[in-house]
Amino acid sequence: MDLKLNEDQSMLKKVAGDFLKAEAPSYVITDWFQKKIAYIPELYKKAATVGWLGMVIPEEFGGGGTSYTDCAVVFEEIGRGPLPGPYFTSGVLSPLLILEGGTDAQKKTLIPKICDGSSIIIPAISDDPIQWGARAVQTRLVKANGGFALNGKKRFVFDAEAATSFICAARTDSGEVALVLVERNAHGVSVQHQRGFMIGAAEVSFDNVAVAAADVFGDINSGWAVVERASMKAIPILCAYKVGACQEIFEMTNEYTRTRVVFGQPIGRFQRVQDHCVDISIHLDGARWITYETLWKVDSGIYADANVHQAKAVASEAYYQSCNFSHMVFAGPGTDYKHPLMAHSVLAHTLYQYLGTPLYHKRAMVDALYPRRTSKSAVRS
Amino acid sequence: MDFSLQPDTPEISKFRAEVRAWLEQNMRGSEHLRWSARWSTRENDEEYQFRRRLAAKLGQKGWLFPTFPVQYGGAGLSLDHQFVLETEIDRYGLPLGAVFYTLARLVAPAVLKFGTEAQKQEFLPPMLRGEPAVWQVLTEPQGGSDVATCQTKAIRDGDYYIVNGQKTMVGHHLPPDFLWTLVCTNPGGKRHENLGWLYIPANLPGVTIQHLHLMMGIKNSVFFDNVRVPVKYLVGGENNGWKVANSYLELEHGGGGSVTENPLFKRLITHCEKTEFDGESLMEDQDVRDVIADMLIDLDVQRLMGLRNFWHRYVRDPHPYGGPQFLYYQRMVRLRNSERVQQILGYDALAPDSSVHEEADFEYTVRAGPGWMHGGGTLDTDRLIIARRLGLGRPSQESAPTTV
Repeated sequence: MDLKLNEDQSMLKKVAGDFLKAEAPSYVITDWFQKKIAYIPELYKKAATVGWLGMVIPEEFGGGGTSYTDCAVVFEEIGRGPLPGPYFTSGVLSPLLILEGGTDAQKKTLIPKICDGSSIIIPAISDDPIQWGARAVQTRLVKANGGFALNGKKRFVFDAEAATSFICAARTDSGEVALVLVERNAHGVSVQHQRGFMIGAAEVSFDNVAVAAADVFGDINSGWAVVERASMKAIPILCAYKVGACQEIFEMTNEYTRTRVVFGQPIGRFQRVQDHCVDISIHLDGARWITYETLWKVDSGIYADANVHQAKAVASEAYYQSCNFSHMVFAGPGTDYKHPLMAHSVLAHTLYQYLGTPLYHKRAMVDALYPRRTSKSAVRS
Repeated sequence: MDFSLQPDTPEISKFRAEVRAWLEQNMRGSEHLRWSARWSTRENDEEYQFRRRLAAKLGQKGWLFPTFPVQYGGAGLSLDHQFVLETEIDRYGLPLGAVFYTLARLVAPAVLKFGTEAQKQEFLPPMLRGEPAVWQVLTEPQGGSDVATCQTKAIRDGDYYIVNGQKTMVGHHLPPDFLWTLVCTNPGGKRHENLGWLYIPANLPGVTIQHLHLMMGIKNSVFFDNVRVPVKYLVGGENNGWKVANSYLELEHGGGGSVTENPLFKRLITHCEKTEFDGESLMEDQDVRDVIADMLIDLDVQRLMGLRNFWHRYVRDPHPYGGPQFLYYQRMVRLRNSERVQQILGYDALAPDSSVHEEADFEYTVRAGPGWMHGGGTLDTDRLIIARRLGLGRPSQESAPTTV
């Protein structure tokens, strides 16, 4: 048993922290969020040179060959920013999708470009805005002209605006899910920025997009299984990003209780205010230890599907709730888009939905631990 | 990081095999016993006697306090060995720290740290052998969570302290051999600098114990009426009691951590799988599954906070706020679980099943939620301690005491 970071991890953490301080200090990030800038190309290229893209991917494909925990340590640090950009989507999830579902040729041509930052491949999985899971995939893939034609509209695709191409999930003629590679500038693809209390999401439409047979990943009907396998590995990294965000909120809120004086004393002397900080500490530490135990299992080859679902539910809720408790402490000024808390608040709401809500993952956790006996109740609720 | 509880060095695996074989042999004859909760009122005499004999046998090998020095009756072993002992005996549903009814697990480390050599040699070996039942006797009727306001007086008279006063909400249903007590040794002195720790033999004249029948079971009031306690029982020196308290209250307040499993959850799942409603088992009901999901998350977070604190304690690097955070969280979880079993079981949640371990009993769970919110200080005291450790509204952070 050992719950501290090892030497390499401490170094990764320090390098990531220094990088952020130099390249993306809090006020700069706040400004990006205010202007809804979710992708900064120069920074993404620099991140590629320090090896943050494809960290967990084997070196033979141009990745870093690190453990999942190593990668999580970096993501925790960039989550403190919170640094926006396709670091998770293209740097972790997509290469894992390709590794799990791609042919050898696809792996060899696509993954190295992801790792050096020259391609940004974004997963575009669910169509349905209120669901996650195979049933949320509705875009159609039908046979046409010796290849396929893709039709559908995915309303909320995270990091879509940064994409050079998409890994798109679509229904085949047999009703199963296929994964196909689609160039962003292919004829019939359009990307429309989404306005609202969110960041980095865009609507992606596929209007009779031609897809070559070679751009279908693996067995055409095995797409959802690939999404499941890849996300079971990728999600803990996303959770670590949220843990880092919670840590930042925790520290910044605690600090404010020391400096903000009202009614003649620092607000941290008021027990009601203290309670909010205590609640953040619980959400933060719950998310932290559930996430790192899950990462340890993933790295150790221990079956961890239930843990991954649990981590996703806990970390998403922790991020969301930490923002709310922090808002209680920062009060009015914390609701100004110029305040660092607002970047977190907008992102926490976006990530609450991304790859499935806490409710979805809690249910999936229980299903993984205690499979249902009857199909009858599986469709209930 | 490594979260595994099963260290696999050859030496440790060998030790685990030894402990497992020893337990198999020495737990024989206990198969029909239910191992009631730590402070249960539902055990029978056979169970109690078995636990005392087992404690004595474990004590003989130094295994009750495995990391303690051999000269006081410990085994001089490492943290890894302690893990092995705690997890192996947990397989039988018993916590190593409370094989029988004693709080010696809290007292012995304080004696080891603050006692004189003579006190260590006299007090530690019996505790480490698992002999005396020790109660922790802190709360006073007027003081409640404010332990430092202690009004029980211990006035020096030659080789004795004359103790007068009252403690309450302490102990359990079986009598103690010793009372581990905070007393006021200097009534005119400054707060926190006027207290002493007395290890009082419970059979001294003038000690009276009265049961209190409470929501969560039996506790007691203890009255001291001119009790003459030999000065050798003062641990840590005169007026130094607050320091002693701080070192070991951190242990009681969650700083010690825990590595054991929760028996309630397992039983709830079995119940839901067996119980039919509307033609299918409760376990198939989405509403039930949703309640179970929230409960599982709470219990896992609690387990991990306990594990974290356990690790921090043994690497001698106390977590700044982990102790009171764990205690606070554990109580909130217990309260939420109290409602959850009612949501799932209906009226059955209010009917006791005395054939099972108390911690796995649904009716006990319902009572224990609101009942066990206050031991060792209220929820609000927990939050106050966390706030100080975080330095909220203060220029500096109060550091966690080193746990002993």
